[in-house]
Amino acid sequence: MPRIERHANVVWEGNLARGTGRISAGTGAFEDLDYSIAVRVGKGTEGKTSPEELLAAAHAGCYATSLAGELTQAGSPPGQLEITSNVVMDEVEGQGHVIVESQLRVRARVAGVDAEAFRRIVAQADEGCSFSKLIKASAKVSIDAELEG
Amino acid sequence: MAERSAQVTWQGDLMSGNGEVHEAPSGAFGPLQITWASRSEDEHGGKTSPEELIAAAHASCFSMALSLGLAKAGNPPERLETSATVTFVPGTGITRSALAVVGHVPGIDEDSFKAAADAAKDGCPVSGALKGNVELTLDARLAAE
Repeated sequence: MPRIERHANVVWEGNLARGTGRISAGTGAFEDLDYSIAVRVGKGTEGKTSPEELLAAAHAGCYATSLAGELTQAGSPPGQLEITSNVVMDEVEGQGHVIVESQLRVRARVAGVDAEAFRRIVAQADEGCSFSKLIKASAKVSIDAELEG
Repeated sequence: MAERSAQVTWQGDLMSGNGEVHEAPSGAFGPLQITWASRSEDEHGGKTSPEELIAAAHASCFSMALSLGLAKAGNPPERLETSATVTFVPGTGITRSALAVVGHVPGIDEDSFKAAADAAKDGCPVSGALKGNVELTLDARLAAE
């Protein structure tokens, strides 16, 4: 079985309160993304990303491939899947900041699958998504899935 | 409480289909293309993958936690250079996130720096979510002056 490695680099300058960092992808797909604590825990984003936004992108991407795989295996390859992940970080007493949840919203256009089979496949895709498994040390994964058209 | 979201559109079956991570709600990156081939083979063709995004999240989270720990101990860093390398074994899952950090930190000795880095590895929220489900490793060094 092949082992695939992907890496990312971060340069951080200064203390936490006033410092800033830059995030770059090993593949070159993104480069020098600014981030800071104010943006990470604040409401506004000021055009900056955060670890949680990157996790949301990772989860939506991972779940999309997992669901596409499960649907294909069931004989009903998807037309189109729309996946949104919303990652929630909360302050938990005694533990500081904790990533508590990733909420997945799934809208699927798939021919030849009924509602019951779809529900089963949605759950299988969660079990098969390596990211869903990964974050369950502190976070729960909830899924709101609908079959469209 | 902080919430961040991202959206992906996937079209077609797993092997020949493709996906797009929409432009991030923050506007910071994207749209980014993803495919199964670029995720599951060494050759990535410049495309990102869930594993690369996890690496970015982990390295960025760890760096923040380490800057906090160092400053609390009276040695705020000038600069931290961090990488995270995430290993994916198709069919098995994500097996490891390996952190490596080189610190430029005035007035600190190597042992104290390693101890602070170790605490950040255990304490940052992304590590907290991954802990126990994946091997977490750390290589922490001070920059040669």
